[in-house]
This record gives sequence, C-alpha cells and structure tokens, in this order.
Amino acid sequence: MSNTLGATVIGRSRLGKPQAGDAASAASPAPRKRRGRGRLRLEIALLSGPAIIIFVGLVIFPVVLAAYYGFYRWQGYGVPTDWVGLKNYQLILTDPDFHQVLLHNGLIVVLSLVLQGPLAILLALLLNQKIRGRSMIRVLIFVPFIISEVIVGTGWSLLLQTTGAVNDALHHIGLGFLAADWLADPNRALWSLMGIITWKYIGFAVILMLAGLQSIPDELGEAARIDGASYWQVQRHIMLPLLGPTIRIWAFLSIIGSLQLFDLVYIIWGQYISSTAGTSTMATYMVHNGRDAGNYGYGNAVAVVMFLVSLIVALTYQRLILRRDMRGAVTQGVT
Amino acid sequence: MMKKTRTAAIAALGLGLALAASACAGGGSSSGGGQSSGGQVTLSFWTNATPGPGLTFFHNAAKTYHTLHPNVTINIQSIQNESFDGKLQTALNSNSAPDMFLQRGGGKMQAMVNAGQLQPLNLTATDQSNVSPAAISTDSIDGKVYAIPMDTLPEGIFYSKDLFSRAGIAAPPTTIPELEADVAKLKAIKVAPIAVGAKDAWPAAHWYYYFALRECSQATMNATAKSLNFSDPCWTKAGDDLSSFLKVNPFEQGFLTTSAQQGAGSSAGLVANHKAAMELMGNWDPGVISTLTPNQKPLPDLGWFPFPAVPGGQGDPSAMMGGSGGYSVSAHAPKEAFGFLEFLLTKDQQQAYGKAFISIPVNKAAQGIVTSSYEISSLQAFNKAAYTMQFLDTVYGQNVGNAMNTAVVNLLAGKGTSAGIVSATNAAAAKGA
Repeated sequence: MSNTLGATVIGRSRLGKPQAGDAASAASPAPRKRRGRGRLRLEIALLSGPAIIIFVGLVIFPVVLAAYYGFYRWQGYGVPTDWVGLKNYQLILTDPDFHQVLLHNGLIVVLSLVLQGPLAILLALLLNQKIRGRSMIRVLIFVPFIISEVIVGTGWSLLLQTTGAVNDALHHIGLGFLAADWLADPNRALWSLMGIITWKYIGFAVILMLAGLQSIPDELGEAARIDGASYWQVQRHIMLPLLGPTIRIWAFLSIIGSLQLFDLVYIIWGQYISSTAGTSTMATYMVHNGRDAGNYGYGNAVAVVMFLVSLIVALTYQRLILRRDMRGAVTQGVT
Repeated sequence: MMKKTRTAAIAALGLGLALAASACAGGGSSSGGGQSSGGQVTLSFWTNATPGPGLTFFHNAAKTYHTLHPNVTINIQSIQNESFDGKLQTALNSNSAPDMFLQRGGGKMQAMVNAGQLQPLNLTATDQSNVSPAAISTDSIDGKVYAIPMDTLPEGIFYSKDLFSRAGIAAPPTTIPELEADVAKLKAIKVAPIAVGAKDAWPAAHWYYYFALRECSQATMNATAKSLNFSDPCWTKAGDDLSSFLKVNPFEQGFLTTSAQQGAGSSAGLVANHKAAMELMGNWDPGVISTLTPNQKPLPDLGWFPFPAVPGGQGDPSAMMGGSGGYSVSAHAPKEAFGFLEFLLTKDQQQAYGKAFISIPVNKAAQGIVTSSYEISSLQAFNKAAYTMQFLDTVYGQNVGNAMNTAVVNLLAGKGTSAGIVSATNAAAAKGA
C-alpha cells in the first residue's frame, strides 16, 4: 500500500515525501495545476473504468471468443477440440446459401435507403410546415417505430396470410386480382418485407430529418425568399444541403440496421423458411446454420464474417462519407 | 502524462477482468444440480411439459416419490419446448446440468455421450419387464442405455371422421393413389385435404421421411445413418414421390407460413376446427389438437390411419416412424436420480402419464388405459409394424436433419428438386460433425 502511495503524486504528497517534480516540491504557482493532473488521472481511471470493463467484457471478449470457436468443428458441448483451421470460413464463402444471404442483405440496404430516404425527407418537409393536426400526424408516423418487432412481425404475418385481412380487403373492394401469397411467394416476399420495414422505420427517419430541419435557422430561408426563390428552390438549394449531415447519419444507421436485420424476418418467416421465401439475412443464416443445426463452431465463424462485413462497411462509410461531419473520429487514425 | 493515464486505465481494466473472471468461476461448482447433505438429496428435473395435465403429472410423481423416499426431494422445472435445447446446452456447458432432463435422442444424445455428459443406466430385471428391449433400443448407444422412454410416439395420419364421411370416403386410404383420390373428394366439399405446418419445416419434412421409409429398405436407412451419404437412388426416388404427390395440391393454402401447433391458424388448429381433414403427425397430436378446439376438449371424431403404402417401394409397407427420447441422467447426478426414472416406469405412474399426455405409455401393462379409437388404431399398427425407425432428423443428427428439413420445404415451395434434398444433406455433413 505504501508503495502504491509512493508511486503516485497524490500518494507522495499524502505521505509527506514529495520528490523533485512533484507538485508539492515545485515552486509556486504550479501546485494547483500539478495536483489537478494527479486527480485527473484518477478521475479518468474511475470514470472510464466501468465503461471499459463492460465494453471489453461484453463486446471485445465475445468477439475474440467467437473468433476462437470459429476455428473449430464444435457441437457446443464441452471444450472444442476438433481444430479445422480456416475450413469453416472456406465453407461459408463457398456456400451458395450464403451468397443468397449477402444478396438479400445488399438489397435490403439499398432498398431501405432508396425507399425510406426520399419519403422521409418529403414527410419531414411537410411536417415542418404549420399545418392542421401536425403533431397528430407526427405521432402516427412515429408509432410503428415504438412498437416492438415481435408485435409488428406477428401482426403483419397475420395480415398478409393468403387468407388474411389484406387479401380479404382486396377482394371486397374489387381488386381481387391483386391478392397474392405475400409471404411465401419467393418473387414477392422480399418486397413484402421491404414494405414492413419501411412502415416500421420511416418514423425514425422522419423524426431525425425533422430535428435536422428545425436546427436550420429561419433567416436563411427568409433571405432566399426575399431574393425571389420559390418554395421548392428554397427546399432544394437551402434546406436539403443543410440537412446533409442528418441524412448521412441516418443513412449510416439504416445501413448498419439493414446488415444486422434479424428479428422481423425471424418472427414472420420462422426458423426455417426464410431462405425458401428469399428473405434470409446474414443473421438468420447464422442462427439457422449455427444454433439450429447444432454447429456452434460454424455459427461462430459466420458471426465473425458478419462482424467483419459490418465493420468494413461502417469504416468505409465513415472514411468516405461521414468524414466531414465527424472530424477527429476513428477515421483520423485510419489513413 | 499520457503514459501514466494509460497505465491507470490498464490497471483499472485488469482489476475489472480479474473480478469478472472470479465471479464466473465462483458459480461453476455450486450451481450444479444434485446436492446431498446428511442423507438428504435434492434433485433437479427438467421437462418441456407446460402447465396443464402433463406438468401436474410430474409434480404429483415427485410428491409420491418423496413420500416413498423421504430423503429425496425432486424439483420439477418446466421449460418451454422451443427454448429447451438452448438452455440445456448452456447448462451442460457450464457444469450446472440438471440431474435429470428431457432427452431428444438420436444425434443430439450422441453428442452428449461423446462429451461425457450422460450416465449410462443399468436397468434391473424389473425395469426390463416394465420397458421392452425394442422400446429401449433407440435410447441405447453401443449397448449402453442413456435415456428412459416414457411413451411410444408412432406417427401416422390423423383425420376427421366427419369430414371423411361428408366427402363420401368410406374407408381410410391404404395406398398413395387412394390418398390422392380422397384429396380430390375432400376438395369438392371445400376443406383443405391435408394440413401441414411447413413454417416449422419438420412437419413438412415428415412427408419426405415417410416416402423415404417406403422407398428405402431398412438396411439402406441404417447404413446411411452411419455414413451420412445419401447416394442410394431411393433417397431421390422418395423426393420424386413427394413431388408427384404435390401435383394434386393436397395441402392447405399458404402452408408455407403455417406453423404446426400455435393457435387456430396452425396445422393442428385447422384440424381441430374442421378446416382441414388430415394431418401427418406424431402421437402427441391429439393432445395439441384438444387445446385448439373451440371448447378446448378433445376432438370427438378424430381418427388415425398409418401412412399409405407406396407401390414398388423397397421398404416394408407396415414399417412405422416415430419419436423416441425420454429422460436422461447427467454425468454428475447423484445415484438417486436414476431411482426416480425407474419409478416413472412403474405401472401406476405409466397409466397416469398416458392419461396426462393423451399418449401410449411405454409400459405394456399400462397400455390398458388406451381407449380412444385413434389410439387403438395406432397401437395396433405399431404392434404389427415390421420395424420402426426414428424420425430422420433425429437419426441423422441435428445438423443433417436441419438441412434435410429445409431442403424439403424448398421442394414444397417449388424452389427445389428431389436431387436438391440429397445435395443439401451432403453439404450439411461437411459443415458439422
């Protein structure tokens, strides 16, 4: 204990044995500042310690463990012993099912951006006006985002059954020819999923865009209008460019969410049929080939691949697109 | 300055990790199942029976056993079926296995045996008279018994007698062409001929299993269980049979997103509500159906017939498929655990079990409780069967079974081929053990 005390500035000053360079032994006016540094260190350790422990214990450690298990053929019982090297990774990358899954994930990423982005901006522009019932509409648009994925999934899967409410409604309004097998038809299922995703997550995008719009000073729009700009010119040349940072952040969140999509698919299509219906994602592939099949080693390898894909996409996006919005973030170190 | 900050951070981190590690290590030994002190033994027992007659049976059995053996207390723990395997696996891995637990059998049991997680059970002469060698054979590996079965679960087609007579079907079909003719008759009265819960994959896959059972000889099926090589032409033939059967559109609309047991829209629910006439299912089905009828009572007109014969197949037309499994004792459980399982095999307990689960008890002396027509038909067929096979996803292990089930669903959806089933199973064998 006394050694520890002796090793730190505060400790030495407490022991009354200041060394050269320590705060107490230095000439004034340094003392306050030096003591502040010692305390600073303690504060950093105390304040960041718990966060670092939790981050390392719950994020880094599991990632390392997954990487470790990924090198084994392992049924999940006892300690893994059957070392197979990179064989799991080779199987993943050559599995046609995994190629399908990557394609689905890619489509979901792109379609989410293309469907939700413009729609959210338009809705946000609309809701930024002073119109009747504005807060009511805002609430209604945001409600789906608050409902849990399980409820959304169960609800929509009941609505979209062949004998469900959607087809019934179509028949009753004379549009029976539009009725279809929304969930099981491989040509349609992904579009049904995209519809549900858009319905569910558009509220989040709209709220973000609205917040972005409201942070833009009114004076800019006013000045443009005085100069004779039309409403659309103001939106196009003033509001949209200034909304840029918000759009880029939203797109980032949307991409990461799309890459990791699991719950909606798992609830609607269950454990088995998502690949048949063409809605499987990397996450459902991982659960299907890892946990359901009892190949825990293989499943861990899939998790690592998924982590790397997300990491590469995230870093690339930050590096290329978010750089000007987030100066000094991770990107600075990665040249 | 920077350096010292870093040192402090690393020190904090190290301390945290040490704490976390010791916290993990602390739980290991003490949370393990059986504890005995001063002759008192407390045993844990995991079942997938959910609150209802089944769980009540186990609670009563534990109470009765405690009266007979006052030093043994048994804690019954109910775990929902779909989350059971994951929880059990975690428990086995962290040395906190329950003393006794539901065993699925097949490849899963093999994996537990390989990992040294199960106790081999030495059956006494009394035990052997309670449970026949045939029934126990599926729970044995290399001549050692690793699980005690509670009931026999032969599979067949459950049907509604009312719907059959309304459609003008005099007797249940005995061949596939007859079944196809009945499908047409049932369509004429506007009900779904056959319900299948393809969302859960295995109910759909059971159609393929049965076609394989009819097409492949017993020897081929057993040889494949060892080699996991599905190259015999009968495997593709079974897929072709299923494809051609699909041409008569026997299943309900939207079967791909229908689950097996959940709610009135499930395949069991369709049968329970007379929306579908037939369902291929194991012997647990009447219990499931009875919870889904409008009045929550057993379906009065429920009948049963064995899977029809396939002309020209190599397999015996009387052969049957069914589930096995039972209850296992974990490696470190006290010896009293097996005593409780032996007790569950006695006649009185078996009768109570059969009534609670509406199933056929494994102890022949207790089979007198079987009275309903569908149970009598399935018991007769079971006793007449030339041989019985376990469900293929059990026989061939979780890994290959999982891939096979998915491939069958692909075939049903019109997305796959019968050759695809064979190649999918071969590919899965590469991923796992």
